[in-house]
Amino acid sequence: MSDADGSAAMSTWIARRAWLLIAAAVIAFLPLVFQDSYWRATLIVTALNVMLAIGLDFILGYAGQLNLGHCAFYGIGAYASTLLIMNLGMPFWLAFASGMALSGAAGMALAMFAAHLRGHYLAIASLGFAVIVHQVLLNWIGMTQGPLGIYAIKPPPAIALPGLPAVSFGDTAKMLYLVAGFALLFYFLLDQLVRSPIGETLAAIREDEVSAASFGINCTVWKVFAFGIGAAVAGAAGAFYASFVGTLVPDAFIITESFTVLAMVIVGGMGTLIGPVGGAIALTILPELLRGFGDLRLVLYGAALTLVVLFMPGGIVQAARFLRARIGQRMCAAGMGQ
Amino acid sequence: MLTVALQQSINGVVFGSLYVLVALGLTLIYGVLVQINFAHADIVTIGAFAAYFFTAALGGNYIAGIGVALLVGAALGWLVNAAIFAPLRERSELLPLIATIGVSILLQNAMLLLLGPIPYAFDSPYSNEVIRLWGGTFITWQNLIIVIVSTLTIALLYAFMKWTFMGKALRAVAQDRETAGLVGINPGGLVMLTFVIASALAGMAGAMLGPVLVLTPFAGTTVIVKAFAIVIIGGFGNVEGTIIAGLLVGLIESATTQLVNPGLTDIVVFSLLLLMLAVRPTGLIAEKREENV
Amino acid sequence: MTADSCSNPVGPGLHATGLHKRFGGVQAVREISLDVRHGEVFAIIGPNGAGKSTLLNLMSGVHQPDAGRIVFDGVDLVGLPAHRRARLGLARTFQKIRLFRRLSVLDNVVAAFHLHHDIPAWQYVVHGPAFARDYARCRTEAMKLLAFVGLEARPSLPAASLAYGEQRLLELARALATSPRLLMVDEPAAGLNAAEVERLVERIRLLRERGMTIILVEHNMELVMQVADRVLVMDYGQHLFEGAPAQVQANPAVIAAYLGGA
Repeated sequence: MSDADGSAAMSTWIARRAWLLIAAAVIAFLPLVFQDSYWRATLIVTALNVMLAIGLDFILGYAGQLNLGHCAFYGIGAYASTLLIMNLGMPFWLAFASGMALSGAAGMALAMFAAHLRGHYLAIASLGFAVIVHQVLLNWIGMTQGPLGIYAIKPPPAIALPGLPAVSFGDTAKMLYLVAGFALLFYFLLDQLVRSPIGETLAAIREDEVSAASFGINCTVWKVFAFGIGAAVAGAAGAFYASFVGTLVPDAFIITESFTVLAMVIVGGMGTLIGPVGGAIALTILPELLRGFGDLRLVLYGAALTLVVLFMPGGIVQAARFLRARIGQRMCAAGMGQ
Repeated sequence: MLTVALQQSINGVVFGSLYVLVALGLTLIYGVLVQINFAHADIVTIGAFAAYFFTAALGGNYIAGIGVALLVGAALGWLVNAAIFAPLRERSELLPLIATIGVSILLQNAMLLLLGPIPYAFDSPYSNEVIRLWGGTFITWQNLIIVIVSTLTIALLYAFMKWTFMGKALRAVAQDRETAGLVGINPGGLVMLTFVIASALAGMAGAMLGPVLVLTPFAGTTVIVKAFAIVIIGGFGNVEGTIIAGLLVGLIESATTQLVNPGLTDIVVFSLLLLMLAVRPTGLIAEKREENV
Repeated sequence: MTADSCSNPVGPGLHATGLHKRFGGVQAVREISLDVRHGEVFAIIGPNGAGKSTLLNLMSGVHQPDAGRIVFDGVDLVGLPAHRRARLGLARTFQKIRLFRRLSVLDNVVAAFHLHHDIPAWQYVVHGPAFARDYARCRTEAMKLLAFVGLEARPSLPAASLAYGEQRLLELARALATSPRLLMVDEPAAGLNAAEVERLVERIRLLRERGMTIILVEHNMELVMQVADRVLVMDYGQHLFEGAPAQVQANPAVIAAYLGGA
């Protein structure tokens, strides 16, 4: 490449990454704008939901697998990391990584099991898997304390970088930075993956497995990969959930949770990665704003999901594109009118 | 010991026949449309509440209440098909399922807002009287009604599918929708009929389950997940398989409750489900079909 | 790909013996054997339901035969799944069009380059220079393939919006993306008008000149007569006749089968 090409490529590279910097800046400002712990907690939950939603979108929107068992990966990450810390004294970040690994492994196991199953059968299998995981969490009292739950889970330990004061995560602002930061990191990594040939391969599997195989794509391996990655991200969210909420009960991971994450993905726009981010933000924040009207949260989810599928299956992203096209048309017409 | 086994078997048959009613609806819909109605569970729940309000609030006869629930279920089936499955038919394989997940969440939580989480005491006049059977076992009138009504309904349905023209037309649409259309059958109308029948069955099952289970807005969900297991084990779209699988699951459930830990029944049933999917996803009786490319 | 356009007995050929395949109650393929030599165009014809597509599915790996052997370039194919056969150099198009409908025309072809990426694993996650080179190379190659079939004008259109005939050509471009040594085409002319069939014949001839072995399942007798070196005629899943196109045209059993005499 010539020098001119080089610097042009460099500036495109920066331009494409600009959104990263903007998002990071927004995250940096959030705790300054939202000072009370209620809203900060809501934002942390939003960040957790973003992680769940992009993980599910990787599996559903990109690889085309209708996974209804995502809540199980969330729960496995939460319980596994917590139990490793409390029973084995494992340091937080090692337990975090182990939780991710275990969730990822569970995802891969489910995918291997269900590899030969068609769409609806896979959905039911994943549902069955989630029910079993929930029942295990509920009944294996010796390990999980069952419905009584696990209490007094500590937040991540303070990080002390050399020369800087220690950052303690008991403070909601710091926790928000941590969780939102990881959400941004996972988004970046998944985005890189889907823009690579891996994304193309997953899209091929989603569109037509038979012809994908004729191009040398081993559909089973790649489905297992997609499940593994999506589940691992859910596991990370689970580890953060446990250390933020401080309490862990099996009912936090019932199948309804799978459906709410599904709603976020669909309402946002499946297969776009940024759509589910918007869906997670919208479906976490809106119900909080409507708190005054009773617990409408789930009614809202149900209505949003149904209406979006019926009338705008591409979700918020489709609506945004539609609006942009219409505005573009208006501007064109206005310009030509002169 | 034998008494206990017999008693559990009787209970198993009672619950099994209810599961079969619910599962038959799912399997009929899948057979004719290759789709799953996730809101089927909520039709069961609404049927239960319809019968409850008919008897408790309006003072109606319980048996008539079952009829009311049947009609309510039928109406809901009509609505769900007209609003969701018919419009989405061309577009996608998985979107209708996702839409019905949305409907299910909406219905359950709307009911929760309206009716509250506290269980309703749905006492049918038949719940408490008991008939003594052989070997020291007994059965309540309620359970006997359940078995009788379920068996009659299932038998009627089976006869309908096998021997009437409409039943055969339904099976034709299930096998090959386009050709059935060419031969003069109206596939859209038959799909609607299937939905109405399936949902009527669900409503009925709800009315009979009401006095037996805990009646909350989530009553249907406890049954639906087992119904899915039954449909998979029996084979999607396979009526005989569903009947056998339903009774089987009812019996297994009773056995697990009695012999092992009641909390584990779900795990056992679902492990069976996953085992079935691993080994024979098309079900116990259905033959393997290779997709023609 | 060699420039040698004559049948080269030394190059990879495909040999099948005694293939059987049953679906439920139907014997789709019965006792079929064939011998495709390197660099030739081998056509399989027969009336509807003769089992031609099933035979292609057996060779490409969509289905496994109940009995029989298939050997390509010395490798036993039976038991190998479709994606492994693609690695060996087999490619195919489908009778029922199986494009990636929501992807663009260009992306359909790019997706088929799956086997030919040259990127170190870490660059899938953080896109570096090798990634950029591979990205550019794939798109350039894809555009060349689109130009080969005449679809280079509108690469960003969703594949579903193409006309039927164009979709068939896109299928061909995709199959070529794997750089196959043996290309199997299933009814490529179905739905094409006369001009499009002409273009298709040109394409097949060009490919043959470049040394590609082609197995062609076709209904369109004119097309077959123009390009095929040898023809296998099937009927009711069985071998009816095999020979050069002229011989096939003259054979009474073949004529009877097509006219419904048998």
